[in-house]
Amino acid sequence: MTHHKLFLEERPSIGLSFFRLFAAFTVGAHIIPTLLPLQDNYLSTAFKEKNPSFFTPLALGIVEASPDGLVIFMTVFFLVFLFFFAIGLFSQISCILMVLGCYYFYALNSLHIGTLSYDILLVTLFLMCITGYHGDFFSVDSLRRGDPLAYKKKRPFFVQRLLQIQIASTFFYTGLCKFTASGNWLTANPIYYLLNSVPESAVKHFPGRVFFAHQPQLCYFIGIFIILSELSMPFLLFYRRTRYWAIAYGFLFHIMLVATLHVPTIFFFLFPPQLLLFINPEDIVAWIDKKRGQNAAKGREKIIYDGHCHFCVGSIRRVQVLDLTAKLEPVNYQPIEDLSKIDARLTRDLCHSQMQLLTKNGKLYGGFYAFRRMTLILPLLFPLAPVMYFPGMQWIGSFIYNLIAKNRYLLHRKGTCKDNLCFRP
Amino acid sequence: MMSTKIRNIAISVFAAAWLILFNYESLRFNYLNPIAGRELPKFKFLFPPAGWIMFYQVDETEGTAEVYGIKGDRPEFIDPHRIFNNHWIGYDNIRRNVMVSVLYPFYAESFCRYLKRRFPEYDKFAVMQVLYPSNIQYPGRRIMRPFYEC
Repeated sequence: MTHHKLFLEERPSIGLSFFRLFAAFTVGAHIIPTLLPLQDNYLSTAFKEKNPSFFTPLALGIVEASPDGLVIFMTVFFLVFLFFFAIGLFSQISCILMVLGCYYFYALNSLHIGTLSYDILLVTLFLMCITGYHGDFFSVDSLRRGDPLAYKKKRPFFVQRLLQIQIASTFFYTGLCKFTASGNWLTANPIYYLLNSVPESAVKHFPGRVFFAHQPQLCYFIGIFIILSELSMPFLLFYRRTRYWAIAYGFLFHIMLVATLHVPTIFFFLFPPQLLLFINPEDIVAWIDKKRGQNAAKGREKIIYDGHCHFCVGSIRRVQVLDLTAKLEPVNYQPIEDLSKIDARLTRDLCHSQMQLLTKNGKLYGGFYAFRRMTLILPLLFPLAPVMYFPGMQWIGSFIYNLIAKNRYLLHRKGTCKDNLCFRP
Repeated sequence: MMSTKIRNIAISVFAAAWLILFNYESLRFNYLNPIAGRELPKFKFLFPPAGWIMFYQVDETEGTAEVYGIKGDRPEFIDPHRIFNNHWIGYDNIRRNVMVSVLYPFYAESFCRYLKRRFPEYDKFAVMQVLYPSNIQYPGRRIMRPFYEC
């Protein structure tokens, strides 16, 4: 049944996982700046504003009674779970606890963070908390699970569908309010008023502002165009043929918004990624599979590991999770009689002592240097590259790597190799 | 492990309830309240108070607050960025007119306490309401009146 498919059909959750990264960034970019001057914003010395239309008096009263120690605790609590949510560690529970922190600071002082866009963010986060599907990929959770095909994992589509409906409806209702209720976009000329507002107003000093500020007719028609585009967004986004144009327009709309107005960047950081949730997840998976096929056909970098070491096998599986487009080809050296067929420099002793990375252009890296090289090959490890290539890291990294490599048989999860001698050749 | 059938029922119920609630809160303030002729209940802890009303009503008047620190008889304008020293990526909350909040009489006492702590160098403070009557007809004209002192 079609209506059943709308929410219950199982589809890849990779888009939702990608969106989690932006949701975490948006939360951090909005709340962390207010935590820096804690004394001015949240402690007993702060000037605070309440939002009684959002919270109940009881909730406001409880939060208001917070001693400074609790505020500091909640700051650390929030930052920890924001970080966990961002890296996808215990994704669902860290989402819930992070959102609890979002609510706490909102109830404590709504002056700086409490905006319409923050209310929208909370609606989005509420939906994200319903399931842990957003931790299926781009997450520590996916590394813990070690499933190299996690990017294909199928889940009921309802969370992503509700997020799609949310943003499409927000566009629609925003447009509707502009000319119904007490909106004045048809009866007056809001864009013209904004452009002629005082220099300290919400309008930025962008190129062309002076020109448009003297064109009331043009401003009015831009206003009409904005209303029409907002009203038509749900139809353009849900209709397959116009979807990608609507996403592109949505991006442009938010770029223009942030370029011209001092509005919270929640709009800019959250809405465009939320529009990307309209991209068919099967198309994303098909694109990834195509890239994997192309990389396999072109020949891949070989990662040579010890297949008798469960810790190494687990680590390779985690590398495969990170290797979305299969740029690496894992090779277990144990069953291979003649390693020189792979490369003349490879010996059993060399491969036993540490993991080896053989690049397509014939360069051989071992141990820490192999891992360091991977941070330049796998896009998901790019953020680690500056750390790995930081001066001095070759000594620290090699020391840690060698320590682990020498004792890798002790790292079996089941502890069956207590003497560190299992499977030694 | 939840069976697929139970999971599907749970998802269906949640999705239906969510869509009803989402659209109710989107329409409640501006459309349903006038039809009902009364204030319909708001779902607390979620959703904005009046629906999705981004820049829905903009007119040619503006208003804000300015704070002056007074040392002896000399008033000095205090830059609002010094009063609320927050820095966001990509926008300026002061330009979003966060200062207007201090004009609510309910907040006068706590704002005065805040000012005295932040700026101990001043003897007292004057919080002024600033109105721009029309940016179109009288560009640049501003009317300033004292709101409260601390």
